[in-house]
Amino acid sequence: MRLPSASEAWSAWRRGFAAPIGWRDHVVGAALALTYLTWLLTTAGALGFTRDETFYFQAGTQYAGWWRMLFEHGSEALRQGAIDPSWSYNHEHPALMKSLFGISEYLLHQKWHLLADASTGFRLPGMACGAAAVWTTYMFGARAWNRRSGVAAAVFFALMPRVFFHAHLACFDIPITAMWILCVYVHWRAQDRRNIGWALATGVVFGLALETKLNSWFLPFALAPHALFVHRHAIARSLAAGRLSIPTSLVSMAVVGPLVFLALWPYLWNDTFARVQWYVEFHLHHEYYNMEFLGKNYFGPPSPKGYLPLMVLATVPGVTLLLFGLGAVDRAIAAFRRLSAWARRLLRQPADTPRGDPLETDLLLFLSFAVAVGPFFLPTTPIFGGTKHWLPAYPVLALVAGRGFDLVASAMRSAFLALSERRRATAECALWASVFLAPLAVTLHSFPFGLSSYVPLVGGTAGGADLGLNRQFWGFTSQNAAEEFLNAKAPRGASVYIHDTTWDAWARMQQEGRVRRDLHPVGSPSEANEALVEHELHMNEVDYSIWVALGTDAPAYIVKHDGVPIVSVYERR
Amino acid sequence: MPAAGLLELGAHAAQTQAVVPGRDWEAARDYVSQHAKPEDLVAFAPRWADPIGREHFGPAIATIEREARPDESRFPRAFEVSIRGAHVPALRTWRPSAEQHFGGVAVTTLENPAPLPIIDDLVSAVRPDRMRVSAGDRECPFVHMPTQSGGLGFGPAIPGDRFGCPGGAFVGVSVVADLDYVPHRCIYAPPSGGTVRLRFLGVRFGRALSGHHALYVEAEHLKGAPITVTFSVGGSTLGTVVHRDGEGWKQFEFDTGPLSGRQEDLTADITSSGERRLYCFEAATR
Repeated sequence: MRLPSASEAWSAWRRGFAAPIGWRDHVVGAALALTYLTWLLTTAGALGFTRDETFYFQAGTQYAGWWRMLFEHGSEALRQGAIDPSWSYNHEHPALMKSLFGISEYLLHQKWHLLADASTGFRLPGMACGAAAVWTTYMFGARAWNRRSGVAAAVFFALMPRVFFHAHLACFDIPITAMWILCVYVHWRAQDRRNIGWALATGVVFGLALETKLNSWFLPFALAPHALFVHRHAIARSLAAGRLSIPTSLVSMAVVGPLVFLALWPYLWNDTFARVQWYVEFHLHHEYYNMEFLGKNYFGPPSPKGYLPLMVLATVPGVTLLLFGLGAVDRAIAAFRRLSAWARRLLRQPADTPRGDPLETDLLLFLSFAVAVGPFFLPTTPIFGGTKHWLPAYPVLALVAGRGFDLVASAMRSAFLALSERRRATAECALWASVFLAPLAVTLHSFPFGLSSYVPLVGGTAGGADLGLNRQFWGFTSQNAAEEFLNAKAPRGASVYIHDTTWDAWARMQQEGRVRRDLHPVGSPSEANEALVEHELHMNEVDYSIWVALGTDAPAYIVKHDGVPIVSVYERR
Repeated sequence: MPAAGLLELGAHAAQTQAVVPGRDWEAARDYVSQHAKPEDLVAFAPRWADPIGREHFGPAIATIEREARPDESRFPRAFEVSIRGAHVPALRTWRPSAEQHFGGVAVTTLENPAPLPIIDDLVSAVRPDRMRVSAGDRECPFVHMPTQSGGLGFGPAIPGDRFGCPGGAFVGVSVVADLDYVPHRCIYAPPSGGTVRLRFLGVRFGRALSGHHALYVEAEHLKGAPITVTFSVGGSTLGTVVHRDGEGWKQFEFDTGPLSGRQEDLTADITSSGERRLYCFEAATR
């Protein structure tokens, strides 16, 4: 059998690109997702356990225990006396992801021994959500514009250093990002297909998003105006006929969404109203965290207005942002043309009718992006948590960047029409490489210091430190201190002040062989032979306490990223 | 667009290769250790590089007294050790007299245009032969106890060598983080809802008594009761200064011209009615 030549393979690939969007694209999306998931799995061991993860590991174990009780003992598990002890822990966050963390750890680590580490079992659902977001982003881009846009968008999303970092964690930030873009995508498909199946799917996915993280409360502010605009003529006609017609997908979101939310969170099955009220009030009056921005420590609202824009510039690769800008200008021009034609028709002037989009995709993407970032411009919003809270905006950012890339690639192909197909293919490959190598290199290099790392536009990690941008949070870099110094140099049985790391995180790192088992953690520098300080501006006070407690201000060792201190290790003199 | 991508890739490569190697820091340390006198300042820039400076220069050069200085005025000369072209903002007006480069590390010698030498540093007087402490009508003995410290929110470490008062009040030397999280070595003397009296023995006076005071950074946000400090000599009040939450590392100064050249006991009465008044001050005669 003769293998196809390179040009024949390229032509076949091009023909494939001309086929209608369908099952092939799910294969492409799945391949992209699987590649990303594999990458995440192979790098997970290098990342210490964050504070929040240790609470979710614990919650996941308890919740999974209840699910097992339900399957093994049936109705016995449904008594309030069985539900509350299992579900009361960490009930300030919905249960879906924590249940998945726990079930994954139980099945893949404990029962089937497919994963060597319990932590990887806990983290796998979060990683799968990152992969699912890549898949959905591809499908959205492929359907909205073309496959090239879809692939570019998926890769742009995957190669954002902060996305890559958070995608490793058993937390909710990447899961809500995945749920957000999936909900937007399913809603968009529901406006196209207009059947009960897609409408129901919208409600179900919205319910899953509600069950993932509270960002989902804002989704209706994007989806409802969009659906009403798409169906504006039908709504107007029905109103004229004396009826109120609401898009089915919105009805589904309003009815099915809350049902899914309640169904998957057994804690809410008793005292429902009071417990939902507590959940809402907890987040309306959430405690504040410290966050450094431009050399100043913020503790509470208002957010500086420049926080989100500067942090996006400082953490998303520049070429991605440039292509996002190009794509955004393209979509803005298209929107302006439509508006202009509409205005001319209104004034009864002759006007060309630009090709319309019955699904109003641009409007949906704009609303989805604006609603995801909008709360961070409100004066009442504090800046705790940094970039992770607006991650749901990033798939849309990547989609628009994908559109920008497609414009560049199309322009290049048009300019090179005189070249042979083979040379044009080579040129396009070079274009792909030139655009994706920098995000790939930056993302690879950022790990596992994804919260300390900044993009070349602001000078990299050292540039971020020069600007006074947050170095890290969550206390996970103690693993790096152990790997680089403590495991080799600390005296046997030494006591270690573990600073921002939780007791459970330290214990798990010891269980999994990341930290020497004889190093026992202590809660104050005064008790310690070795003391860690994980550098953040507001943690300087701990640094100074260590000076007094250990009698020295000179670290014995510093974990650095690109020469910037991440963790200092002090030894008692 | 390809150019933009490649430019970013090139910038990334350049930035990640631009790390200052340890040998440059050590060469700079050798130079500073040969030239710096005990009264000189050694300071690192940018601020985020300070731990690296302390790591390489060690506690004998990067002393806590230099690192946690009250301000720069007492130093006649400074060795500014910097990377990435950064400078210590407080030394901007000082006159450079020499500059040496050790790979990526620059050492600039700077002359203080108006040094204010100190005569007696009260922080150094926190020891049993130089100071007495009382709370109410009870003496607070000098004790050697374990240091007490904690994590975020604990406040400055409570030093092991301290004057311990009945009811839990104490006085000792610690390092406080001010509102900007800058360290200052100071006399940690929380008044614990009453008055703590510090009597410094045989202080040598000059034309002024000047100092700074602050609360631990998180206590500064509490909007609690102010701290009042009254300095007196021989029953005559030199002056009173009040610290209110949010004022940070606040300077004060009193004229001691009439006492100049004399050696007298100096009393500081620290009073506050509030809770968690984690107060720290430094003062020196000039």
